[in-house]
Amino acid sequence: MKSSTRGVTRLVCAGLLAVLMIACVASPTGARSVSLKFYYPVQVAGPLAKVIEGMVTSFNREHPDIRVEAVYSGSYNETMQKAQTAVMSKNPPDVAVLLAIDILTLVGMDAVVPLDSYIARDKGYIDDFYPGFMENSQWGGHVWSIPFQRSTPLMYYNKDAFREAGLDPNKPPKTWDELLAYSQRLTKRDAAGNVTRWGLSIVTDDTWIIQAFILQNGGQYCNLEGTKTYFDTPESIGALQFWVDLANKYQVMPRHRFYGDAAADFVAGKNVIMLNSTGSLSFVRNSATFDFGVAPLPRHKQEAVPTGGGNFYVFKGLPKEREEAAWTFIKWMTSPERVAEWSIASGYIPVRRSAFDVPAMKEYVQRFPEALVARDQLQVAKREMALNNNQQIRETLLTALAQALDGKLSAEEALKRAQAEADRILRPWNR
Amino acid sequence: MRIGLQPKRTNILVHLILLPAAFAIAAPFFWILTTAFKDRTEVFSAIPRWLPGHLVLSNFAEAWAMVPFGAYYWNTVVVCFGLLAVQLVTVTLAAYAFARMKFRGNDTLFLMFLMQLMIAPQSIFVPNYLTISSLGLLDTRLAIMAPYFASAFGVFLMRQAFKSMPSELEEAALIDGCSGLQFLWRIAVPLARPSMLAFSLVSITHHWNEFFWPLLVTDTSRARTLTIGIGLFAQSAEGGAEWTLLMAATLIAVGPLIVLFLLFQRHFINSFVQSGLKG
Repeated sequence: MKSSTRGVTRLVCAGLLAVLMIACVASPTGARSVSLKFYYPVQVAGPLAKVIEGMVTSFNREHPDIRVEAVYSGSYNETMQKAQTAVMSKNPPDVAVLLAIDILTLVGMDAVVPLDSYIARDKGYIDDFYPGFMENSQWGGHVWSIPFQRSTPLMYYNKDAFREAGLDPNKPPKTWDELLAYSQRLTKRDAAGNVTRWGLSIVTDDTWIIQAFILQNGGQYCNLEGTKTYFDTPESIGALQFWVDLANKYQVMPRHRFYGDAAADFVAGKNVIMLNSTGSLSFVRNSATFDFGVAPLPRHKQEAVPTGGGNFYVFKGLPKEREEAAWTFIKWMTSPERVAEWSIASGYIPVRRSAFDVPAMKEYVQRFPEALVARDQLQVAKREMALNNNQQIRETLLTALAQALDGKLSAEEALKRAQAEADRILRPWNR
Repeated sequence: MRIGLQPKRTNILVHLILLPAAFAIAAPFFWILTTAFKDRTEVFSAIPRWLPGHLVLSNFAEAWAMVPFGAYYWNTVVVCFGLLAVQLVTVTLAAYAFARMKFRGNDTLFLMFLMQLMIAPQSIFVPNYLTISSLGLLDTRLAIMAPYFASAFGVFLMRQAFKSMPSELEEAALIDGCSGLQFLWRIAVPLARPSMLAFSLVSITHHWNEFFWPLLVTDTSRARTLTIGIGLFAQSAEGGAEWTLLMAATLIAVGPLIVLFLLFQRHFINSFVQSGLKG
């Protein structure tokens, strides 16, 4: 009995060690003249990884001298951390899709190269991109990144619920006042006064859509250099106050929602009007069982939205031929055909005008005219908040939003504290 | 005494507590199972439905096609069990030294060793990455395992097990001509089996579930593990997760583990009872 147990233990140990040894044998890599490593995040839907990999495969087929290896790297945050860690160990990827607003962090750590000399080779190329998307790609007189998966906030609304409430399904709210009035009419409560359906849902657990409201209220959140925030101005405070009123005074929207929850609520009919990313468009189209519409965000003092999303960056310290190949890859991925393909698959806005001349895009827009709303809204799109130490300041602003929405502090007090904190964080850049 | 006299009533009482608890634990698994077979529009109905309207099998095909599950499975198994094999050796030897050998600074050294438990693994990801990178191990399974070869938790657990063995046992073995290592291998290790099993379970679950470290050090299906495959479905923040695909992928990833657990359940529970350690 005992000896058999021992035999089994030995056998298991030996087996495990054998497994470990197999694991230690590194597998060889095939090589072509230039190999590129490309980090990409998947932000809108898992199946899109397949689309990216398909595009990379086509690129490799068309370019026998270059081999791009697509590496899925988690969310934007995780991709950024992976890239930063790799840069620190002097082993950077060649190309990566990272947030456009991470530009100051990447330039600050000397991780990426300016792309001006490549852009200068082909004058028509960069002018074809929408200016709203280029704003966050430039800093200090250089272009550091090329727009790829870009979005703006968008208003989604449930047309069936509009009809049921006696509202015209082709007239979504156009101003803040209308937004409030519609939301009040669309919010349903049970006998005890508990909300059973929200009239409105805004992504409040991120710092992106509040930027739209600050802009619409005639305000601004930061300076061009990314060294100063304007959180405690009357315009910024007014924007947050409007949110607090919607959530607490009129109780027509939930205090807290993130992108995915809001979209899931929307397709389940648990809210009627939703302010969310254009990145939700494909998800909503594939999941909603009712008639829905999309529209530009309502205006107040002016019409405005921030842009968002990810750009291509090229990393520093690559041998010349790899940097060249990286540029070839980026140019190919942002060719009108690829931009159209990517937009149709993902719901992101095509980043350049000529993508709308691609037959597949024309056909798509005809079938699904909602895709044009986001493009048209681009005329009023502004640069997104991009600061030195952006991540930390976003956390600070996020805390202020939660404090105000939860009623722990007034909108004014919360934003004044956030401003003081941001001033402290940015002090090294203001000396 | 009274409990012994009224077995029936106690039974009912125990079941009244256990049934809801069992339901609370089983419900999420049931939800994974049914969601994996639902149509994607069904997931978002305002009134949750327990059972799918009609069985949708395409979720599995779609999830399977998106991720090289075969390779990821093999990698995960190699990482978890290979790591465990190394850990069992290092942990047993270190624990034996700390528990049974007298040398200067024994206790201080052990305390310092325990401090490893206080350091969050995330906080040393960057230096670990630099080490792995300079060893040329990036994108290998060994890179995922290497930082965990020594486990303070395992040493602590095994040291307790060795300490609780009466010293007469070792003295008797020595008189019979057993060397230290022989005593360890033939007597102490078999007696400490429940603790080893407990540690093995903790180690395997922890590394089976690990996400960020493997994501950081691997790039291709040569070394990537199951969690990264699942991450592809779970982390679509802007669009709302693909629940049906995510649940199908989850089922593919955890299904074999659940079956394995059910098969060896009695064995696991027995050894926990022996070691006096609860899950």
